[in-house]
Amino acid sequence: METLDLARLQFALTAGAHFLFVALTLGLATVVAVLQTRATFSPTPTRTRMTRFWGQLYVTNYAMGIVTGLVMEFQFGLSWSGLTHFAGNVFGASLAMETLVAFFIESTFLGLWIFGWDRLNRWAHLAAIWVVTLTAYASAYWILVSNGFLQNPVGYEVVGDSLRLTDVGAVLGNPNTIMAFWHVLTGALVTAGFFLAGVSAYHLLRRTRDTEFFTGSLRIGVFTGAPALLASAITGGIQLGELATTQPMKPKLLGGNTGQLAQVNAELVERFGPGDYLPPADWARAGGLVMLITFGILFNLGWFSVLMAFSKRVVRRFRLWHLTLVLAIPLPFIAMISGWIYREVGRQPWVVYGLLRTSDAVSPVSAGEMRASLIAFTVLFGLLIVINTILLARQAKRGPDAVALGRPAAEYHPAPLPTATY
Amino acid sequence: MELVAAGLLAFFAIGYFVLGGADIGLGMLLPFLGRTPAERRLVITGIAPVFLGNEVWLVATAGVLVGAFPDLEGKLLTDQFPAVVALLLGWVARDAGLWMRHQIERRTWQGLCDTAITLGSWTAALAWGWVFSSLLVGTANPIIGVAIALLFAVHGLAFAALRLSGPLRERAAWLSGPLTEFRAFLLTAAVMTLLCLAIGFRLPLVDSAADPATLRLLVPVLTVITPVLVLAQVWLWRLFRHRVERPMYL
Repeated sequence: METLDLARLQFALTAGAHFLFVALTLGLATVVAVLQTRATFSPTPTRTRMTRFWGQLYVTNYAMGIVTGLVMEFQFGLSWSGLTHFAGNVFGASLAMETLVAFFIESTFLGLWIFGWDRLNRWAHLAAIWVVTLTAYASAYWILVSNGFLQNPVGYEVVGDSLRLTDVGAVLGNPNTIMAFWHVLTGALVTAGFFLAGVSAYHLLRRTRDTEFFTGSLRIGVFTGAPALLASAITGGIQLGELATTQPMKPKLLGGNTGQLAQVNAELVERFGPGDYLPPADWARAGGLVMLITFGILFNLGWFSVLMAFSKRVVRRFRLWHLTLVLAIPLPFIAMISGWIYREVGRQPWVVYGLLRTSDAVSPVSAGEMRASLIAFTVLFGLLIVINTILLARQAKRGPDAVALGRPAAEYHPAPLPTATY
Repeated sequence: MELVAAGLLAFFAIGYFVLGGADIGLGMLLPFLGRTPAERRLVITGIAPVFLGNEVWLVATAGVLVGAFPDLEGKLLTDQFPAVVALLLGWVARDAGLWMRHQIERRTWQGLCDTAITLGSWTAALAWGWVFSSLLVGTANPIIGVAIALLFAVHGLAFAALRLSGPLRERAAWLSGPLTEFRAFLLTAAVMTLLCLAIGFRLPLVDSAADPATLRLLVPVLTVITPVLVLAQVWLWRLFRHRVERPMYL
């Protein structure tokens, strides 16, 4: 493989790994913030335990989101210096805003929240999780300003061999950005909702202790996941509708035959000059179809679950449903990642749609260097995904009594070391 | 505008090498500072609440770089490709070790995570040595590179002397000599700062700045937000300013 293909594969794997973690983190942050708000305004032991239990699963997953995100941030300069050179004036600024206006605050407050459990007063501690949640949303927005610009460039002019920003309002309010933002947000809530429901169903199925805890959690998960599915369908549908004018090839990839694809290609040749504007159709089509099928399964299961969840008796006893919910935990992740593949593969051969081809954006790095880094990152991320899944499953199975997050300092063993004598 | 942007870049870079650099140095010396698994857990607790807030200074540095100096960002990272990849691998391994160590209470698991933290920190420090020596003298120079990595270790040791207590603190203070612990840390931090400035002045910052239309929007926003970020960090440090005496989460 050439440097270009290796760089694309590397970016796809890094961004994909990051996106899988983000899908859960973004939704779970919201759920934990709401749980903690309830537990702060009208505390009960169950509410406090819920915040700590789901909070610890959130933190475990968040950590992996950070480390994959770090690698993401450096990939632009490492592998795609042609992109930063050409579009840096527009695309770089929103990345800068993401790091300072969102992620910096998010990281600092996450430290305050994780370790400040018995040091901050409860209102300040509650404020910390909300700051973390809202800056996580801000982070998603700024990243999608960058991504939305690549998908649907607006508010720029071409000067020489690079772009100049002309209309910041157009860039910030890019319809592609706004709809993708809501779509990712609602998708994250679907992921978190089914995660809560699935983990709770596991405990109810196994008849572990804490029936009340997991009955409540399952209902929260279902009542979050099902409406979020509806919202994700609406925001997804609007995006598909807009593609007809902005990226005409993408919607045709879902159901179009070879003739229709050739016809769109001919239209694009008129617009952009001679060339082949057909993305890797198999990948894009598979991504789109898997997303739609998975969504269909989730939608039916989600609303069926809402009906069931109205009765607490059913929530405690319906074992076949429990099993189904456990098996459904991976489905939102599959839907998220395949939707993302459809979005990103479907815009090829462009990295900035209509302006810069992916092949013109790759850094002048040798194939050997790119291959070595690809292998190293793939092995490391592969390991991290496996270990993270095992750790999440382990914590989820052990239940709320084994939670370390928010444990009072006095309970820590071993006892403190003897004081030094000087 | 270019100068303000360069000032912001310097501010976040120095913040990273002073704060994040101390965490890397402490990680390099983990087996020296902590001789048993329980001691090592305490050493880790010395940075646990702050390492996330410390490493984010580098994320911010990279953000300012790509926003205000996009061309330079692409050129720097592409030129230093293998060193930056090594830095990222070391960084990720260290963070994963830090986050995961406490989750399974088995000796082999903790040993694995301690190894990831120590080797990850060494990899990151040596990668910085590699990058810095190339920027200072034009080509990667192993002697300068290793010297810079050792600077991270000494800085981490000085930091550990401020964070730990009891016998761990004594171990960390062996290099301080006649200086008080705080002065020793100020000294290593000053060397880190000088190193950053020496490299910053060699970069063609003004020539590779983003278009004025971009800077006019970006730089004021970043300038206004920076004091807010500093305040948040001050709050974090005030809350966790005490020496570590018993483990926390992580």
